[in-house]
Amino acid sequence: MSTRTQNTRRQGGIRGLFARIRASQFLSELASNRLAIVGLVIITTMAGLAIYARVFIGGVPPLTEGQYQAIIHSNLGGNSDLAKASPSLQYPFGLDGQARSIFPRVMYGAWLALKWGTITVGASTVLGVGLGVVAAYYGDITDNVIMRAMDVLLAFPSLLLALALVTIFGTGLENAVLALVLVYTPRFARVVRGAALKVMEDEYIDATVALGARDFRVLVRHVVPNCLAPVTVQSTLNFGLAIIDLAALSFLGFGAEAGTPSWGMMLSNGVEHGLHSAWWWAFFPGLFLALTVLGFNLLGDGMRDALDPRMRDAVD
Amino acid sequence: MASKWFVAKRILLLVPVLTGVATLVFAILHISPGDPARVMAGQRATAEQIELIRQETGLNDPIWIQYGRFLADTAQLSFGDSYVLKPNQPVASILKNSIPITIELAVYGQLMGITLGLPLGVLSAIKQDSITDHITRIGALTGISVPIFWSGPVVIILFSVMLGIFPTNGRIAQGFFLSDTWLFFGNELPVTGLITIDTLLLGRYDAFASAVRHLFLPASVIGIYSMALISRMMRSSMLEVIRQDYIRTARAKGQGEKITMLKHGLKNAFIPVITVIGIQFGTLLGGAVLTETVFGIQGMGMILVEAIEVGDYPVVQGAVLVFALLFTLVNLGVDITYSYLDPRIQQ
Repeated sequence: MSTRTQNTRRQGGIRGLFARIRASQFLSELASNRLAIVGLVIITTMAGLAIYARVFIGGVPPLTEGQYQAIIHSNLGGNSDLAKASPSLQYPFGLDGQARSIFPRVMYGAWLALKWGTITVGASTVLGVGLGVVAAYYGDITDNVIMRAMDVLLAFPSLLLALALVTIFGTGLENAVLALVLVYTPRFARVVRGAALKVMEDEYIDATVALGARDFRVLVRHVVPNCLAPVTVQSTLNFGLAIIDLAALSFLGFGAEAGTPSWGMMLSNGVEHGLHSAWWWAFFPGLFLALTVLGFNLLGDGMRDALDPRMRDAVD
Repeated sequence: MASKWFVAKRILLLVPVLTGVATLVFAILHISPGDPARVMAGQRATAEQIELIRQETGLNDPIWIQYGRFLADTAQLSFGDSYVLKPNQPVASILKNSIPITIELAVYGQLMGITLGLPLGVLSAIKQDSITDHITRIGALTGISVPIFWSGPVVIILFSVMLGIFPTNGRIAQGFFLSDTWLFFGNELPVTGLITIDTLLLGRYDAFASAVRHLFLPASVIGIYSMALISRMMRSSMLEVIRQDYIRTARAKGQGEKITMLKHGLKNAFIPVITVIGIQFGTLLGGAVLTETVFGIQGMGMILVEAIEVGDYPVVQGAVLVFALLFTLVNLGVDITYSYLDPRIQQ
């Protein structure tokens, strides 16, 4: 405990955070958690696939000669089943209704999911941290106004709030992301407020104030860095949720545009058109979606277990 | 008594929250990109017709007057008439028919989750770090990672399309719609709206069997998810309780392990799990949007999705409000139950 406080005093900001992570043995404890490592491996693999797909496949994968032939075939009414061939060596995940190989599309879906998931979680973390520390630090009316507003947002089941907001903003991927940012912000605000209240009981905060530091400096250099551990855990756990909810909004038709190779869109297409004839349309995008979410949940769970018990209570 | 104050305080706190909820829902109609009057009038309406509708529905009134009217109407659970889905039918009556469908599905799913999740969680905790524990934990984590809009299609493909054991969608076999005029086919009988109960009340066991067969897959998909969550909570709660002094005391006085676990362990470990079950129920209501879409069930979730698609704002507003209200009430119930079971929470 005393080492931690000293480290914090010596090095504020990000460097102080790393020092504290080492001091609290957070990483070494995390590294000994086999399930968390499995989670990390899954996430890294997905990220690798995503980057590969982004760099080498780009937006919509071009048609190969075979696919092209298949389309012509089906348009001529010849053999329409060729257009949605089942998984084979050539097309590991089969072809979709437009004779596109599903495998590269699913890989590209990883790129979309991780990219928009990061944006969603990142934005709600920043917003939530801001609101949470301000509420905790100023207390009184500020605290009440912020937290009651958060309560209103928390009074909806999360997907329904997202749907209500999408109705207000209009559909589309960017609007879906915006809606989800507002859905998740209250969770972060709550976690951070709780953590910040605990941090503010520490003496170094009083000391900093006594030294004449301005509010902004106290908040940014001392309160926020010391709340980051539970926030990181919450972000990781929320990442899986964000990916699911984004896919859900696309699945319901309020997120990604039709034709986008996002997992939600592919699933929706598979359920609507392929349930009885082409199981692979819905199966593979959903499998990758579930695997990615599992990766984040495994990692987040391990991180929560490795977390300082004092802060563990704050995380949902 | 302190608990009465706790309950009163908790209920009073609902007023600002629900007002906020209503305000947000009011905003749906007034900030949304679409013009409600245009939606109401239909595609081919002239400017005059649209203006007439604006006047009739009060859309030309100042915003605060509309807001006041909205709050007053909402407080009486009156949400206006549907524009598009079922033109001129009151939203309240549309919702009244679909709420039981959604609740029934959530209840059965939750029951499955509880009956499977609780024993698994307890077992996992008692045999901590055993193979059983590892399998349960990994299974539970997998369960909460699998979205319903994937597990749903997968069980449909497996059990309906490939094996043909269960029907793909709907609430009951088509034949029952055609041969009878009661129940959901008309409103001739005062019914609960819960299909499994109504069919039994009417003594139609064949219809009941059909309804159960239709309910099984969607309820299982919900059940797997909720089982995963409940078993996780039960495990960690049980582990915490096992380490308490009173468990050691019970063991020290020579009480058998089974009785110690059941009488002292389970009873105390169950309290925090109640919260999870309650919150979970609220989340399930929200998840109805997905389950109902996948399984083609005309509950409140599906109606909400359809209403958003066509821009039927009164229906959207009504459905969102009812969902939020149910969610809030369930949470209130959970908090109050919790405070009676564990009086420490009131401080």
